[in-house]
Amino acid sequence: MLRRNIRLRREYLYRKSLEGKERLLYEKKRKIKEALEEGKPIPTELRNEEAALRQEIDLEDNYTSIPKTHIDDEYANATVRDPKILLTTSRDPSAPLIQFVKELKFVLPNAERMNRGGQVISEIIESCRAHEFTEVILVHEHRGIPDGLIISHLPFGPTAYFGLLNVVTRHDIKDKKAIGTMPEAYPHLILDNFKTKLGERTANILKHLFPVPKPDTKRIVTFANRSDYISFRHHIYEKPGGPKSVELKEIGPRFELRLYQVKLGTMEQSEAQIEWVIRPYMNTTKKRSFIGNEPEPDDKRKRNKA
Amino acid sequence: MIPSAMANSTETAVESLHHIKSTEPPEWLVPKQELSQAVRAASKLLFSSLKPHCPKSTFDQLLTEGFDAEQIWQQIDLQSQPLLSSLRREVKKFEKHPEEISKFKDGGVGGGEKKKVLEQIETDNVVNDDDDEDDDDMDMDEDEDDEEEEDEEGEEEEKERGTEEESENEGEEKGGIEDKFLKIKELQEYLEEDEAREFGLKKKKTKAESKKEEEDTEEEGDDDEDENEGSVDDDDEAQEEEDGLGLFDGNDEEDEDDLENARYEDFFSRKKNKSSKEKAKSRDMLEEDSGSDDEQDVDKRKNGPSKHEKELDKLRSKIEEMEKANLDPKVWTMRGEVTAAQRQKNSALEVDLDFEHNVRPAPVITEEVTASLEDLIKTRISEGMFDDVQKARTSSSKAPREIKELDESKSKKGLAEVYEEEFVQKTDPASAPLTFSDELKKEASMLFKKLCLKLDALSHFHFTPKPVFEDMSIQTNVPALAMEEVAPMAVSDATMLAPEEVFSGKGDIKEEAELTKAERKRRRANKKRKFKAEAAKRMGKKARQMTTVGNNDEGREG
Repeated sequence: MLRRNIRLRREYLYRKSLEGKERLLYEKKRKIKEALEEGKPIPTELRNEEAALRQEIDLEDNYTSIPKTHIDDEYANATVRDPKILLTTSRDPSAPLIQFVKELKFVLPNAERMNRGGQVISEIIESCRAHEFTEVILVHEHRGIPDGLIISHLPFGPTAYFGLLNVVTRHDIKDKKAIGTMPEAYPHLILDNFKTKLGERTANILKHLFPVPKPDTKRIVTFANRSDYISFRHHIYEKPGGPKSVELKEIGPRFELRLYQVKLGTMEQSEAQIEWVIRPYMNTTKKRSFIGNEPEPDDKRKRNKA
Repeated sequence: MIPSAMANSTETAVESLHHIKSTEPPEWLVPKQELSQAVRAASKLLFSSLKPHCPKSTFDQLLTEGFDAEQIWQQIDLQSQPLLSSLRREVKKFEKHPEEISKFKDGGVGGGEKKKVLEQIETDNVVNDDDDEDDDDMDMDEDEDDEEEEDEEGEEEEKERGTEEESENEGEEKGGIEDKFLKIKELQEYLEEDEAREFGLKKKKTKAESKKEEEDTEEEGDDDEDENEGSVDDDDEAQEEEDGLGLFDGNDEEDEDDLENARYEDFFSRKKNKSSKEKAKSRDMLEEDSGSDDEQDVDKRKNGPSKHEKELDKLRSKIEEMEKANLDPKVWTMRGEVTAAQRQKNSALEVDLDFEHNVRPAPVITEEVTASLEDLIKTRISEGMFDDVQKARTSSSKAPREIKELDESKSKKGLAEVYEEEFVQKTDPASAPLTFSDELKKEASMLFKKLCLKLDALSHFHFTPKPVFEDMSIQTNVPALAMEEVAPMAVSDATMLAPEEVFSGKGDIKEEAELTKAERKRRRANKKRKFKAEAAKRMGKKARQMTTVGNNDEGREG
């Protein structure tokens, strides 16, 4: 285990060091491709290498033409196998928190719930690595209301810290018949308004909690970003009258996520580098949006223009 | 003027006055000729009756014919302005000394003087009317008000005036200057009072009186000055104004006697000292914050603290407060960063803390928000645009397995041919025709070997040189006859051995059977000779080897 880790680390560092050269090559190939497509003469600095590069371009396919970055590299092999998730809570959870975690277990396919007991986090993560888990999720609470969510990708992956707001659980809706049972097919995903680099990263983290679905599933999980608050919704849809009509039925819990930290290490690595942290006391925080684009406000100017 | 005529005109004027009094107010709204005539007559009478009382009037009688209301009013105005001021004086005098009114009152009740009283009353009326008319100069177009007000006021003031004037009449009547209004003695008294007040002599008066007097001095000061002293000093004026403001009322050092013995020095030299003293004093009063001086001054002052002084007091107290506040330690809200230990318990709850929140507030999930989200989801579903995880293309680690294709068409070779080929392969492996796949395989293997050689050369530390491929093909020296017997068509005799390869010898080559006797003998002899020569060599070697050891075998060879 140790030796394997060492080897993986060395490979990672080596690939990271190659990035610069690969990027240069990629740029050159891109220029040649453009020149060929537009029918323009090839730029003079590439004339010597043009033949060799053109050969390489011919041999490339979609997969190999994209240069790989070490960012998000953690998810390079994530799609090979289905994700395996472990769900736990903070110590001494209350009954509502346990219920919420149970619901989350149904929402996320391939998830396992575990009682926290008195375990230490580093132990949990070590054992998860040994058992080939891909994610560990921790849920925190305040007096029964869930208020924190920590998603940690496993081999060495990034950890995202979210705050939960406006939580509505299935248990709150007392009428069991109205809500019915929850299907456990792999759901389709909708990720809306994750436009910035940080937004793309967050989208990746959330995306890889779910496995590859079948194209015809009726279950939909939505993560919609509105001014840096990500709304989580869970629906089942039906198309009663032809393909264009869609009927939605909301099942599952509903909450808002607010990202406040992304770390480049797992949960127990306290000295890991912080990729991004929220700055609420910065004067321009109100004007900026970190995860997505703001919708344009309805201006008087616009009305005047029209 | 003829008295009888005057009497007649007065009678008619009085009549007209009564007539005017009796008309109803609404009748005044419509201009009527007779009413205006009556009014004109009445005012003319009043004017002429008043004329003796004002020495300065320019008109002997009121000119009414051909003049319009404006001009008539102005004439009356000219007459009455000086009268007003004197009347005011009289009224104030009576305010001060109410006992004089009662004196006049008592005097006026006497029987034999009823006529006089009546006359007085009439003249009073006239006076009052005039006054009232003068008072209502402002309302030029309203005739109705005048007469009514006149009458009312006239009735009120009748008695006062009557008594006063009677006593005056009873008193001395000096020359032409004096009449009911202007009494020299009274004027003198008044002037003395005024002077006393102005120049700071002792007189205890109430605040109200002092105020009124101040106002009087302000109003009439100029008049008095004009009357008494021709040229006024700058100093004087300044002081007089200050006096008017009541600053220097506190100086009561001088006695009343000084008034009468007042000389130039008093006014113009001593005044300076006084003024400087007074100024110094005032400055002291202003500068010193102690209350004792204030109290002294208050005691010394004739009047109470004046307006200005009160304002100054207020200012002083404010300044005191502010200085005290500056010396004290600041309130916690005005100190920079304050932790809980540095302020009182729960004091932050009382203060209205207001600061900007730089965080966007949490979104409130309303119906609209939910509806918009659901719309988004529906559109995505109908388009089929999901952000699912894409399966990654795994690069295959194994080569694709060879798929053996079974050719299902009938074999073209007969069974005999198949057996033939097998037999040929066993006996003559070289002659067997090479199959197609074998050729390809061979070519491939050749290429692969070359490649492997190159790779080995690159990657191994120990280089193995290129192996020599000897293309071995079996060459059988089969007699042609045998070949011909088997008779495969394609066989050539190229693989046969050439004669040199069979035997590479020289000379006449004969077999054993072909040799003659002599030749046979010769061959035997050659053979023997060779054999002997070799044997001799061998013996020589052995002899050399066995030098030390005695040879017993020498004799044997031969």
